[in-house]
Amino acid sequence: MIIIGEKINGTRKMVAKAIQDRDTAFIRQLAEEQAKAGSTYIDINAGTPPAREPGDLVWLLENVQAACDLPVCLDSANPEALKACLEIADKTPLINSVSGEKTRIDGVLPLALKYRTNLILLALDDAQGIPETSDGRMDIIQRLVDLALDGGLTQDQLLIDPLVTAISTGTENAVIAFETIRKIKVAFPMVHITSGLSNISFGMPLRKIINRTFLAMCISAGMDSAIADPCDKDLTGTLLAAEMLMGKDRYCMNFNKAYRSGRIGA
Amino acid sequence: MKDTQLLTQAIVDMEEDKALAMTRQLLESKTNAMDVFTAYQDAMAEVGRRFEKGIYFIPELVMSGDMMKTAMEIIKPYLDESGAGTVEKKTGRILIATVEGDIHDIGKNIISTLMTLNGFEVRDLGVDVPIDRIISEAKAFNAQIIGLSGLLTLAFDPMKNVVERLEQEGSRDSVKVIIGGGQMDDQICRYVGADAFVTDAVAGISLCKSWISGSI
Repeated sequence: MIIIGEKINGTRKMVAKAIQDRDTAFIRQLAEEQAKAGSTYIDINAGTPPAREPGDLVWLLENVQAACDLPVCLDSANPEALKACLEIADKTPLINSVSGEKTRIDGVLPLALKYRTNLILLALDDAQGIPETSDGRMDIIQRLVDLALDGGLTQDQLLIDPLVTAISTGTENAVIAFETIRKIKVAFPMVHITSGLSNISFGMPLRKIINRTFLAMCISAGMDSAIADPCDKDLTGTLLAAEMLMGKDRYCMNFNKAYRSGRIGA
Repeated sequence: MKDTQLLTQAIVDMEEDKALAMTRQLLESKTNAMDVFTAYQDAMAEVGRRFEKGIYFIPELVMSGDMMKTAMEIIKPYLDESGAGTVEKKTGRILIATVEGDIHDIGKNIISTLMTLNGFEVRDLGVDVPIDRIISEAKAFNAQIIGLSGLLTLAFDPMKNVVERLEQEGSRDSVKVIIGGGQMDDQICRYVGADAFVTDAVAGISLCKSWISGSI
């Protein structure tokens, strides 16, 4: 399971303040605790205006690299910010993300190809936004995977985000995501499938229960990555249990070791 | 309790079948169509209040909105008949859009729904809306308020451009600009040149109402 630790995000108030104040200790602590909790990548999102973003994102990257050995997930659509980070990243990053939008294809995709990074692909484009059917999403995904493979990336370097819309505004919205995940698995057996988990529960009470249940159901449909908070023990417990129940955890060792080390459980 | 109050109660309780049956029954038994319509408006206001208090959530807003839409189709012919074409004066005119480069629509849709429930005349242009279209639609609609929504940092510059275009065309003073989104703050508001920023729908509505009652 590829876990993208989501906590260093400038749209969160505490993180925005830390970026503003250049609070090195705060950012390093977030990187360290997510590494310890089992992250594969540490997501960094500066969330600042375009002019300031390159400097802020580089600062975040330097601090994550100082705090742990994990690669980062560069969460930005700003080519300047991405380029500045790609030049100094000491491990192959994951770029979040390229969609069917022209600005992303023109501005972000060439950087992923040039630096041979791993890459998240989003099932949306300029013409349709997020398509309401799994077939509509597959059309965009097919196009984007073709562009990435033609540019020299391998299926294994790609993480596809089927995109999740709120269940509160559409009763079928989770089912559309499950269908899309299954279709991606059939069309591209070697790509990874990732998703954020909190969109599904927007506008609902007891969001964490919905998020966890949704995660388990996505994993059973074939998802093998998540953009999540790995320090959330309930969530990580659900994640490891679902992988185990899908037959992907030999002798149940990931689950049991996580239990013994205190990463999951009370 | 009066029959129309029972209708309001049924809508607020999300009893869809019951509410629609009562609506038909009231209209057929010659209850004034305007009173039936008012029962729905009262219910919407109560649903909005419960949403603000955290008792109701987005599905209740969506469902009551759909009930109201269905009911309007039933009520309309009766309204025309009674000649009561004037369905309560609207509070104000607001144009809402997620700016170009951004496709986040959850917050925008909530504010659209709540503005409508609060009596505003709302023109919702959708997501990823080009600046030209925002400017021309605002003019055509004679908007008193322009609400710009966005979650991404990429949204800040298009918002700024909307304000600049209004200035260039000399219409900046005749319209209020409010920006909304999870990460809006005072600094971004100044950068954009908006009149105000909000991070939640309820604050946005009370602010817009105060603008309209102070007559902009």
